[in-house]
Parts: sequence; C-alpha cells; structure tokens
Amino acid sequence: MNKDSAIRVIKNALQERRKALSEYEAKQVLAAYGIPVTRECLVENRADVEKAAQEIGYPLVMKGCSSEIAHKTEKGLIRVDIRNSSEALKAYDEIEAGLNVYSGAVLIQEMISGRRELVMGLTRDDQFGPCVMFGLGGIFTEILKDISFRRAPVEKRDAMEMMREIKGHNILDAFRGMETANEESLADILIQLGKIGLEVDHVQEIDLNPVIISGKKPIVVDALIILK
Amino acid sequence: MLRTGLSANSFDNPQLSILYNVNGPLQLAGNKEQQVETMDKNNCDTIMTEYERIFHPQKLAIVGVSAEEGTGFGSGMFNALKAMGFEGEIFPVNPKGGKFSGTDIYRQVEDIPVKLDFAVICVTAKAVPDVLEACRKKGAAGAEILSAGFSELGTAEGVELEKKIRQIAAKGIRVVGPNCFGIYCPRSGLTLLPGPDLSRRSGPVAFLSQSGGMAIDFAHKGKWMGIGFSKVVSFGNGADLRETELLRYLARDPETRIITMYIEGIKDGDSFFREIKAASYRKPVIVCKGGLSHAGQRMVVSHTASMGGSRVIWQSVLQQVNAIQVQDLEELVEASLAFALLPEKVFKAISVVGGGGALGVTACDAAEAFGIEIPPLSADLQTRIGNLLPKPGSSSLNPIDVANPFVPPQILKEILHTTAQDNRIDLQIIISLLYHYKTMARILGKPVKEVAPYRELAEAIRDVVKATGKPIVVVLANPKRGVDDLDIVEMLALARREFIDRGLPVFDELHEAIRAIGHVNSYYGRRKAGNE
Repeated sequence: MNKDSAIRVIKNALQERRKALSEYEAKQVLAAYGIPVTRECLVENRADVEKAAQEIGYPLVMKGCSSEIAHKTEKGLIRVDIRNSSEALKAYDEIEAGLNVYSGAVLIQEMISGRRELVMGLTRDDQFGPCVMFGLGGIFTEILKDISFRRAPVEKRDAMEMMREIKGHNILDAFRGMETANEESLADILIQLGKIGLEVDHVQEIDLNPVIISGKKPIVVDALIILK
Repeated sequence: MLRTGLSANSFDNPQLSILYNVNGPLQLAGNKEQQVETMDKNNCDTIMTEYERIFHPQKLAIVGVSAEEGTGFGSGMFNALKAMGFEGEIFPVNPKGGKFSGTDIYRQVEDIPVKLDFAVICVTAKAVPDVLEACRKKGAAGAEILSAGFSELGTAEGVELEKKIRQIAAKGIRVVGPNCFGIYCPRSGLTLLPGPDLSRRSGPVAFLSQSGGMAIDFAHKGKWMGIGFSKVVSFGNGADLRETELLRYLARDPETRIITMYIEGIKDGDSFFREIKAASYRKPVIVCKGGLSHAGQRMVVSHTASMGGSRVIWQSVLQQVNAIQVQDLEELVEASLAFALLPEKVFKAISVVGGGGALGVTACDAAEAFGIEIPPLSADLQTRIGNLLPKPGSSSLNPIDVANPFVPPQILKEILHTTAQDNRIDLQIIISLLYHYKTMARILGKPVKEVAPYRELAEAIRDVVKATGKPIVVVLANPKRGVDDLDIVEMLALARREFIDRGLPVFDELHEAIRAIGHVNSYYGRRKAGNE
C-alpha cells in the first residue's frame, strides 16, 4: 500500500481548488489503499482511443470523467458493453460532446459482469467522526436504503456484522447460480475505507457505487471522493 | 486488581440469588480486559474514593436553605433528605442565619466547623461560583448545583458563569449540574429534587440522565416496578461530570450491574465511544437517545453522507459497542427490569401459559420479531399438561391456553413445573388473569383483593423457579383500569408487590415482556460472540 501516492493525488486536486476528485483519481486513491478497482485508462485524444481499448480489452465501458460531475448517469455520460473500435470511437465522440462545458476526459475501463451490486462509502459525522457504510448498491441504494454503518476504525468483526445487518444480506450467499461472495475481500474494503477516513483528513465523503461482485470477488466499478 | 462489575454483582444482587444458583462470573478474555484497564491503579483508587464521598457523604452542606420560607429548592432538599432518612450530618447555609427545622443555619460555608464531603447548591446562578469555591476549600469532593440560569439560557452571562464553574471544578471538586435534580443514592439516602418518598432499597441499576424529569420519573417508576437503583444522576448541563466520566465510573462501580442512560447531546464523541464500549463489555448499557430528528443536517453530496444522518449513525454506534438502544422511558424501564431480574444468558425458546386475547397468535408474532421460539411441547408433556387443564377450550401445545381464569394456583404450578421439563424451554411467561376474579368477588360479596389468590400464585411461581432453575416472567394483564375498577387496580398493585418481593419480573403486556427479553438475548448473545 502506498499512502503517499494517495496523498499526492489529493494535494494536486486541492491545489487546483477542487471540491472533488474525478473517478480516475478516486480510484488511484482507493488502489493505494489496496481496494480492488477496475482496470482503466484516461483518454484525452480521439487518436488514443483504439490503443487504450486494445490494452484494456473488449467489452468496455466508457465514461465521461470529470471532477465537476458527481453523478454521471443523470448526465448521460456512460456507455456500456462496447465491443469494437468503431463503437468505441462513436462512444468517445458522444461523451466528448456531452462533457462540453465541463473540463474532463474519457475513461475507458474493463466491463465487470456480475448481477450483484453493492454500495460502500465513508461519511464524517459531526459527533463520531469517520463512519463507514455498507449496503445494497446500484439503483436500489436510495430506494431501499438497506444500509449499515460503523464508526472507524472498522475492525474485522464490525465489518462482518455490517454485512449481516442489512435486510438483503442473503445477496452475498450462493444464489441462482451465483457464487458466495468473498466476505473477506468485502470486509477488507470496509476496513480500508475506515483507514482512509482516519488517515486522510482532506477526504470528506466517499461513495463506492456500485461495487460489483464478479464471480465471488468484489470490484469497485464507480467511485466518488468529495474533498474538504 | 479491580473487581470486575460482573463477578462482584452476580452474587451481590439479592433478587437474583433468591431464585437462582448464580454461576461463576462470565469469563472475560484476558487481553481485552487489560485494554479496558488502562487507568493507573493508584489514580483509579483515588478517583473511586472521591466518588464514594460524593455518593455516600457523611458531611453534607445545603447552601440556600431559608429560615423564613420553606418552599425553596434548598429547604425542599433539606426536608426530602430528612424524610428519606439520610444518615449523614447536614449543614444548612444561608447568609441570614437562623434555624431550619431545629437545625442551626450557618451564615456562610466558611463557618461550617468540619471538612465537607458533598454540597447541594441552590443559590441564584450569580452566587454559585463563590459558593462552589468555598465548598472546595472546605474539602468537599463534589457538589450538585440545582440552580438554573447558566448555559441553558444561551446568554453570554450564563455561558460565562458555567465556564467559571468548570474552572473551579478543575481545581479539585467534581460538579453535578448545574440545572439538574441532583443525585439519588438509596444506600446513603441522597435524593433527587423533589423526592422525599423514593425507595431506600438499593439495587443493581444506575441511571444517568441529562433530563431531571426523566430521572425522577424513572426513580418513581422503579419503586413500584421492583427496580432497585445503585445511583441515579441527573447531570443537567453537565458542566463537569457528564455522560463519559460517569460511564467510566459506573463501569467500575461494584454496586452497579446495569447502566442506563438518557442523553440528548454528548460532548466528545471519541471518548464517549471509548467509554461506552469498555462499559458495555463489562455490563449491559441501555441508552435512550433523545433528539434524533432529521432536521438540521448539513449539505452533503454523496449518497453515503445523505443516508448517514445522526439517527442512523447513533443506531450504528450503539450497535457497534453492543449497547442496548431503547426508544423511550417505558422501554428503558422494561429492559432494566429484565436485565435486573433475569440470569445472564440467552433465552432461545420460551413457553407461554395464559389465556384470552388471541393468545397463541399474538405471543408467537411478538416472539418471532425478536428471534425467540415458542416451540410445541413434546407429545408426552402435552398429554400430561392436557390432563391438568379444564375442558373444553384449553390447549396444551405451547402457548398453553388454560381457557378458564379460575384455574387454581396449585394447578398452574403443576403446569409450569411440567412445561419446564421440556429441555428446549429456557424461560416461561405466565399471563395472569387475576383481574377476572372481580366476577367471583361479586358473587361472594367480598372485595376482589380478598378473593384473588395472588399471594398463593406468587408463591407457586417462585417455587417452580427454584425447583427448575428456569426463570418465569409474569404478565399482569388488565384491560379494566377505569374508575369502576379501581379495586382491580389496587389488587393488582398488591399482587405485583408479592411477585416482586419474590424476585419475579412483572410486565403489563406480553409484547413488552418479550421485547425486554429480546434485549437481554441480544446483549448476551453478542457479548458471547465477541469473546469467542
């Protein structure tokens, strides 16, 4: 783990007086704490799209990547299941156009398949300081609010309890041909989120949504980090 | 080595040892225990001695007792302490001097001829700092400031006065309040304002309350519900002693086996978290948190922050430290009762004996919500119980419906005794239908309290608990509480006392009893899991 590289990314954003990290930057911070994230690269020129796509490998997801946009779906800046270079170039053009007034680039990332989506995150409570969240992800996060919290530091036991506490905890079990989710890896992510909260004061809030269970392994597919 | 609260109290609690062969203390894992015990031993002993002088003072000053008028806080407290039979020596103080109830009033604290242990301060806010300083110089270990007019006003003057109190406290006198009802300690006879008639029976429950009203209400409720207190502290504004320091003390207090609290706001989340975690590890901590509305949340961007409002975070934090969260005073009292009178264990399966009110369905629904089973009894036991029950209309399945409210205590005793033979049953609930005896009393032309066999019932139940080692919880159902039925209300109050005197917990409603048992299960279940 390399905490320094996480700090560098954040310092850089703060120097630019930004209130948030881009998805690409956020994932660098997460990766520095050993949290599994999607393989991806950031493309600023149309000419680099095909090479980047080859490197990551089809099928792909492409997203507008800007620290100025907290919630991308609402802005129509996500294209999924891109299967070849002509689709990739088309997606690039559309996203580039969609980004228009925002500063940003296009993120090309591996497409993670998995039907189970979770949310994890970090908030700072006025009274108790950094608190870590676990819950059902994707579009259900806000509808069901099936979530649990623990104050950092999150111990292994806390992490295991958080997962079992939500009503939909069965989603982690073997179910309809899906494997049992790796609870150890999930617990690690929760523990590391708590660590970020305790070690990096400039991080105000984190959303990892969704975290997709691919096979049995959780991978952070989208991430938002708000700075203070 | 300090005594742990657990080992000390399992044996010290007379109500528990009446009924059960209390097993040895729950073993605490060595390393965790050491983490909890970080306080330097000598330092800790000194602090415990200071607290001892606060809760059990021998020399007590009441500053603000007036000779002329007998209605002020100071005079009220003087009278209340006398009525409670406070054994220590009381020194009333008032600049005008004179006598109060035959006791000389000192003109100033400085004139008191002895070293003080504790002081009750009820003078106007402006005069408080000087009086407090005088009490400190007289050697008082602590003082309770009942006076209002401090930070709760929100004025600069009030805030400044409270700051002064804090500064004096830091020089070596612990302060409870200001703007509070003080300390109630049955063993010493210290009492809350206005509490001349609180119980002198000590017990295992401590209550810390930011609200004075809540403190006096719980103290009164405890008296008739059979909850004995070790200490009740209404700390009001909490200028010096408040939730965190008092938690730390009570966690180590051998008189306290159960800590209960009402809190609105806390001063320091970090140290509160540390202390409540350490306390919950040793003994149950039951928390009623006031002021959990959604209002006043700051602007946030992420989903995580928008869903992590103070209500959710409080819930999570209490869960994290294995504290028991309750929603109101009723639930707090009921949970305290269960923790005080039930053995320290998880009750997975229970039996219910009673009748009426769609008993079977409601009991099972309530139990299921708390993960408690009401399993059908074995066929053999069902037959044996069936033979004891009146016919028709009864059921021996579990819940056991006795169908007839006049089943004599001796038969109920046999039923309970037989039910306990089922190895799966950890605890029994009996829903008493004593209120029906009014019908019989009418026929016999006698008062219901002479007809209803509550004493026999209490004795029968106590005998079964002793013989089987399995606790029995009593539900004193009474749908008749109007002015026409004050005789039933009276009879049930007498009945309750008989049950309580025999160490049997009594609830008004079945679902309340089951919810309280659910809290006990949750606490001991998680503590066990944590130790493994």
